[in-house]
Amino acid sequence: MESIVFGIGITALAGALATVAGAAENTESDIGSQGDPNSQVQLAPQMGYIHRIFNKAIAGEPPAYGLWVALGAGLAWAFMAMQINPILAIVLGSALAVFVQGVYATTAYLGRIASLSKFGQPVFIDVLKSMTTVTMAHAFVAIFTTVTICHLINAALGHPFPLPLLGLVWGIALGAAGSATGNPFYGKERQYQTQKFGAGVPIAASGNIVRYAEAGERNSLDNGWFSAKLGGPASGLCFGLIVFLELWRTVIFEKIGAGWGAIVVGIIIILVFTVIDRYIEVWARKNYGPYGEPAKEGS
Amino acid sequence: MDIPSTIAGIILLLVIVGATYFLVGAGMMFYALIGVIVGGLLIAFGVHFVPVGGAPAAMGQAPGIATGVAMLAAGAGLAGLFGGAWAAEQGLVVAVITGAVGGGLMMAITCMFVTFIYVFGMGIPCASGKVAKDPITGDTQTEYKSQGTEGHGLPFVSYVGGVIGGLLGGGGGTLIYIMLLDVYKEALPGMMKALPAQVLPIAVSLAGIFAVGMFLVNAVLTAYNITGTIEGPHDPKFKRFPRALVASAVASALCGMVAILIVAM
Repeated sequence: MESIVFGIGITALAGALATVAGAAENTESDIGSQGDPNSQVQLAPQMGYIHRIFNKAIAGEPPAYGLWVALGAGLAWAFMAMQINPILAIVLGSALAVFVQGVYATTAYLGRIASLSKFGQPVFIDVLKSMTTVTMAHAFVAIFTTVTICHLINAALGHPFPLPLLGLVWGIALGAAGSATGNPFYGKERQYQTQKFGAGVPIAASGNIVRYAEAGERNSLDNGWFSAKLGGPASGLCFGLIVFLELWRTVIFEKIGAGWGAIVVGIIIILVFTVIDRYIEVWARKNYGPYGEPAKEGS
Repeated sequence: MDIPSTIAGIILLLVIVGATYFLVGAGMMFYALIGVIVGGLLIAFGVHFVPVGGAPAAMGQAPGIATGVAMLAAGAGLAGLFGGAWAAEQGLVVAVITGAVGGGLMMAITCMFVTFIYVFGMGIPCASGKVAKDPITGDTQTEYKSQGTEGHGLPFVSYVGGVIGGLLGGGGGTLIYIMLLDVYKEALPGMMKALPAQVLPIAVSLAGIFAVGMFLVNAVLTAYNITGTIEGPHDPKFKRFPRALVASAVASALCGMVAILIVAM
């Protein structure tokens, strides 16, 4: 009984950490403009729209986070093997991994923007100075929390994978969940804020991203502020639920029916999410209505 | 399908399988190779189900999840592998199904949040650009597409496709892991002259890293077959899967042979 209570506690802590990780990951990738919406940041100067948005999309979020979290986990594992306290080891490992992220962000920005020089896009050194450190700070939060989850799963819950491999697996899953959930909000709602709400961006508008803010030119810190309002928390909830439910079903139900208990509970959870998804889809169809209706709808 | 390439692929597959048979005999290692190939096929087939919209989906210009094919499939499959590896002691069938459910669970949650963001964050209903009616629910799609786009969000059939893709990917990744784990647990103690308990961490790490690697090989291979974006099982591009299966069988056989021969020779 005690071990189950301990397992539930660890599961809850891991779920909470994953929520923070997901939110930080999405905000970091939006400030650095690393997700798929970056196609527009790259396209804008080619269409004549010069901007001051950061641009570091030389790898997708999942492999990039796979690298950084595996690096943080591997270094933490090495420090722990040197008899350093786990918390300090995780902090040190994550901090060193963040330096790699900083080098990545700097070289990616310079390379990406320099490739646009023939379209008149300048490299803004002040953008590099002010944004890189902010993405590094968010990346530290995401990497530290994810490495801590991996350590809890390995040391407290007894998963057979070593810490660096767990870091790779959960780093890729973190990037996948964060980019899937947060990208549309950053891409559609922020980059194309001038387009109509409640409709997709017409393909003809591609590249015409919003480049001016309330005062002066918009920069990526403004984008981080915006996406932290919904895209970040939603990504956090998404990754938090993935980690929490995956651990919860295993910790509590694995012993029932020689492993079949966890399988049945997993299938039930999938069905519950399917019902929720269908409910949201139908709700949107009823409340928003079709675009193609004639004028009496006022559309 | 391109018949000459298919035949060449099948011949290559038979050569690799034959060479492994010649080198290791008809024992457990040979069956592990077959298991690895089946796992690779499950992954390659599963990736075709995952609705991936890439960059256009991030602007609500095309349906699907706004990320890359290989990225998302790897995220789901590895989450499944995590669960499957945990259940490895419960036997092959339970572990593979646990891995499958882990992958499906990751996709179910992610797809639900994609719909959530589209509907409540962006005020956009789901609409497919490839079919007039959702094959599962029968909902009409065309009038819910906003002007100048190919559709947006995840219609229900795409959601179901995502979950099936996660199930197949998670199961396939776990199958590869368990097959290789058995090989390493058997071969490493003799090779390193150590007790089975001492080599277990090395066996787990080696099998885990090979499973992750083979997952990425199959996911990336399939991403090339899909070329960019796919809406799910109702997308015309889905019909391209047979050629990905041939390519995946060859790639998995080659990777599997290398993974087995490092301890067999």
